[in-house]
Amino acid sequence: MAGAFAFKGCQKIRGAQIRVLLEAKDFFLFDCDGVIWHGENAITGAAKVVNALIRRGKNVVFVTNNSTRPRENYVNKFTRLGFTDVMLDQIFSSSYCSALYLRDVVKVRGQVFVIGCEGLRLELLEAGIPCVEEEDDPDATIYNCALAPDVKAVLVGHDDKLTFLKLAKASCYLRDPECLFLATDNDPWHPLSGGRILPGSGSLTAALEVASGRKATVIGKPSRFMFECISSQFSGIDPAQCLMVGDRLETDMLFGSNCGLDTMLTLTGVSQIEEAQEYRSSDLTTNHSYVPDYVVDTIADFLPAFEEIEEQND
Amino acid sequence: MSGSQCARLGGPLVRQLLDSVDSVLFDCDGVIWRGDQAIPGAARVISLLKQRGKKVFFVTNNSTKTRKMYADKLSSLGFDAAEDEVFGTAFCCAAYLRSECGLRGKVYLVGSDAMRQELEAVGIQAVGVGPDPVSGKQLDWASVPLDPEVQAVVVGFDEHFSYMKLNRAMQYLTQKDCLFVGTNRDTRLPLEGGKAVPGTGCLLQAVETAAQRQAQTVGKPSRFMFECVAQRFGLRPERCLMVGDRLDTDILLGSACGLKTLLTLTGVSTAAEAAAHRDSSSAERRAMVPDYYVESIADLLPALQGEDDPSL
Repeated sequence: MAGAFAFKGCQKIRGAQIRVLLEAKDFFLFDCDGVIWHGENAITGAAKVVNALIRRGKNVVFVTNNSTRPRENYVNKFTRLGFTDVMLDQIFSSSYCSALYLRDVVKVRGQVFVIGCEGLRLELLEAGIPCVEEEDDPDATIYNCALAPDVKAVLVGHDDKLTFLKLAKASCYLRDPECLFLATDNDPWHPLSGGRILPGSGSLTAALEVASGRKATVIGKPSRFMFECISSQFSGIDPAQCLMVGDRLETDMLFGSNCGLDTMLTLTGVSQIEEAQEYRSSDLTTNHSYVPDYVVDTIADFLPAFEEIEEQND
Repeated sequence: MSGSQCARLGGPLVRQLLDSVDSVLFDCDGVIWRGDQAIPGAARVISLLKQRGKKVFFVTNNSTKTRKMYADKLSSLGFDAAEDEVFGTAFCCAAYLRSECGLRGKVYLVGSDAMRQELEAVGIQAVGVGPDPVSGKQLDWASVPLDPEVQAVVVGFDEHFSYMKLNRAMQYLTQKDCLFVGTNRDTRLPLEGGKAVPGTGCLLQAVETAAQRQAQTVGKPSRFMFECVAQRFGLRPERCLMVGDRLDTDILLGSACGLKTLLTLTGVSTAAEAAAHRDSSSAERRAMVPDYYVESIADLLPALQGEDDPSL
């Protein structure tokens, strides 16, 4: 419903407008899937954009809910795909941040029961957090399984080796109200290249929430915690100087909004501009948090702005 | 019924209630048995009800057994019961797909072999039962081949639940005309000794979240469970008594269908919970208040045995 107090946002920008934005911000947060790459293919021009931002002295970090690989793997992928200047400490994955949460916020004493893949376990191990061993006990059934002692947290992430037994064990551990219930992220499904999708961690977390009657604490976007991790590492970060660039309204834009950052939706991924417009015209003010401040077709739209900046500097 | 008061059932009220109904529907877990142990006196209650000319039915959300398997369990625990008196969600789900959805052909089933058998008995072929772990890479899973004859995804209790099954179910459900049916939403499957494992509700929630679609559920408190019995036996709701241990499934079903309701305290729900619903201002909560409650269905024995009849 338009009117004198119609909510703004969702502004499609190019050229000079982008240049102004690039000059005004000094901290750029990028989601990965659907923003800088699709699977193993970099989005055309994305590597140039990221490299240019870094060379111009801008802070660039990558904020991803993908919990399946350790950060070292991400560094390799960046290099492989032509993003030459990206270092380990610029990468913030939900698995890395889950490990930080357990180590620094909760200061967990005891073991963690993990429903997740090797990448998640490696991040926890690197942070010195003991995980319950994934054992291959052929005698264990869902009706009668051995539980590990001293489990102080259950952490759920993407797990393609999910079994009913894992769900059963996790819900047993969660009967203890002192045992924490954490999830790397709530994404119901993950996009792959070619418009295909796979079930996400959110679906596994939902199953366990029903089994336990408890709500998980979510580490990843749209929760603020990943931004707190970034702030701890880059002290002095000012939200007003930040721009969050993502492709998913319900994770990236809401994350930006929750942390007080300006947000930009790129249309190379999950969300369509029509969805953003629907949220904008919604009567529910809470829906406005999903609306990006700015919209671009692709982050490659930044490139002409760099050329203009260079021309100006000549 | 919004006027239900959760009164303690005792004294002359018992005969009055029993005389006002022709059929009694019993939930199983927590009502007539716990795991593999019959509730003391329960078998006798069922026999005496039948002797007095009442019809007796067993209505359970458990989808892991066929009617025949239930009849066998009932017999082995000393209950006088026939196969056609048993209504589990495996049987009712097959009935629902066949008669309500008009489904002919195949379904993708996340569920037990018992469900597959009940589906086959009505001419519906189920694919997907049994273990199904991942192999290959992510792209393979996303492009998993879909059987073009599958018209529905059906979810029941499945101890072989895996990421791959979740994935296949989700892929089928991206097709808009694929139906989506679940047996029930119970969060726990009760076992003996007070143990429990995650129930079908968890598996269903996982699939619903991944697919971003809601399933139609067949089990209590959905009215279909009662209609399944009522149609076959010509029951009149106001002459039926629903006996259960769960306010949010058994009693809610009874309310929704206009049955008289009796809560027994040998299972999940407590008298305090019922009282709290009764004192609530929410119509949804008041629908979960039973007309009466007993500590155990054995409390019906004195009236059934004629011991409370002063004229004898």
